[in-house]
Amino acid sequence: MSATAELPARPAARSGPSFARVVRAEWTKLLGLRSTHVVAAVTVAVTGLLTHLSASASSGDPGFVATRNLGDALPLAFLGPLVLGVLVGTGEFSTGTFRSTFAAVPRRVPVLLAQAVVTAAVVLVVGVLSVGAAVLGILPAAASRGTTPDLGNAGVPQLLLGTVGFLVGAGLLGLAAGALLRRAVPALVAAVVVLLVAPVVLAFAAEAGTDPLAEYDPEHPPPATVLVNTVETFTPVGAGSALTNPGGGGLDGAPDLGAGGSALVLAGWVVVPLTAAAIRLRRRDLG
Amino acid sequence: MITAEALTKRYGATTAVDGLSFTAPPGTVTGFLGPNGAGKSTTMRMVLGLERPTSGSVTVDGRRYADLPAPLRTVGALLDARSVHPGRTASCHLLALARTHGIPRSRVDEVLGLTGLETVAGKRAGTFSLGTGQRLGIAAALLGDPGTLVLDEPVNGLDPDGVLWVRQLVRDLAAEGRTVFLSSHLMHELALCADRVVVVGRGRLLADATVAELLERSRGAGLVRVRTTDPAVLAEALARAGAEVAAQPDGSLHVRGASAEEVGAAAGRVGSTVLELAAEAGSLEAAYLELTSGSAEHRAGAR
Repeated sequence: MSATAELPARPAARSGPSFARVVRAEWTKLLGLRSTHVVAAVTVAVTGLLTHLSASASSGDPGFVATRNLGDALPLAFLGPLVLGVLVGTGEFSTGTFRSTFAAVPRRVPVLLAQAVVTAAVVLVVGVLSVGAAVLGILPAAASRGTTPDLGNAGVPQLLLGTVGFLVGAGLLGLAAGALLRRAVPALVAAVVVLLVAPVVLAFAAEAGTDPLAEYDPEHPPPATVLVNTVETFTPVGAGSALTNPGGGGLDGAPDLGAGGSALVLAGWVVVPLTAAAIRLRRRDLG
Repeated sequence: MITAEALTKRYGATTAVDGLSFTAPPGTVTGFLGPNGAGKSTTMRMVLGLERPTSGSVTVDGRRYADLPAPLRTVGALLDARSVHPGRTASCHLLALARTHGIPRSRVDEVLGLTGLETVAGKRAGTFSLGTGQRLGIAAALLGDPGTLVLDEPVNGLDPDGVLWVRQLVRDLAAEGRTVFLSSHLMHELALCADRVVVVGRGRLLADATVAELLERSRGAGLVRVRTTDPAVLAEALARAGAEVAAQPDGSLHVRGASAEEVGAAAGRVGSTVLELAAEAGSLEAAYLELTSGSAEHRAGAR
């Protein structure tokens, strides 16, 4: 028994890790985990189901337009991509796989970038399927009113595109948090605080900071509301809702960033922690 | 070939590796021996570029690991059997590694065959025993057909068949002209497969010698037991000759610093009859224990 099986002699530069090869390797790794498939399936199913329930519940309302319910599952649906991203980001370190991975790719940072590419690709597919599931979800409610949902309706294409974009953003945010913190629980807690808890706290803050008896004038909101709304505009969820509703004009008193600006805000929430993770990866020892 | 020069690694106030210099030449199995906490794994992680030396350097074929254009084709490493995601199958783990270097899938199947893992190739690594995990680690090390192999405690958790297989494998790999650098905390394990042994304790080099040389050293420090009709006279004669003599309660003498032949001759000169003469054979374990005494991290009762 011999360990040699002579590989054809190739120039060294062509036989080592290129970015395309690292992406292929990360793709193999991501699809080789059962958790990836489970999270993807659950995300699509939950999105379809929640949208269906929400649309059915409001189908009796006067002036019901089924397509208005298309984004109703989003506040929960983004948790799927988020978890997926966290799992990719922490998977190397929670299991010791990093030893194999970074021995194969000693420059390290290409692995992180490849993980971003494959996470974005998988979440893009999950996002498109989720949007498809949401469309299927509103069909029974629309049928009960004898209508067919018009996906060309004003705002609907933007809503669908924005939903996919926000899901991709959530996946990458999870990846960045995971890669930076390296442990699943702290990374998930941090991401959930930023994405789920912060909006609730901001809503309370807005209420606490305003006079409940004063008449609310959307043209001249009280200073506390302006402050809270401005902060919210720059949170990932705020950017996400602006992304799904680009014609919405922004929150009262807060700057309207539009779809492009909101996408940039969301990108910032990904790029900053991802850069920090890359610096940590590059500079520090891997015990 | 692996070359370490004044390799040093500090974590805050702790010095894990302290000015270590050695070479692991091609065509030989170089054992890397030391008690737990001696800095073996830290040294191996520095060889693999996972940790940076505080000072000094370690190179493979004259290059720092991070500068190797195709690391897996130059160095194959088994650092820890738990370097695999438990949710991935053996073949998926190997395929992902292979893809980073454009290694064909056929080579993955080949190393699975070499390591006897064909039947569990499609099973998730989390279900593997420690021994099977070690085999997967060795399969990953062989993947790029590298000229240098770095194996940290490769026989750990293997069944007797597996241990024999690893011994033969490392001998074969060295016979093909490869560099094999293999750590263990068991001297007798290395005695069976290593040509040379680098011994470390508390991060420092204690010995860099062939197995035969180490054995020799332990013989020199060996003990001769002698029982004669006239212990006091013989003890005096041996002490005059420079040996260290300790009288035992049973009337025998324990002699250090003289061979059994020398003790016998001395007894003849002073005219005492030898009733019993025995040289405690030097063993590699004894040599190792002597080298590392005082440098073990954990000792019973004290730290």
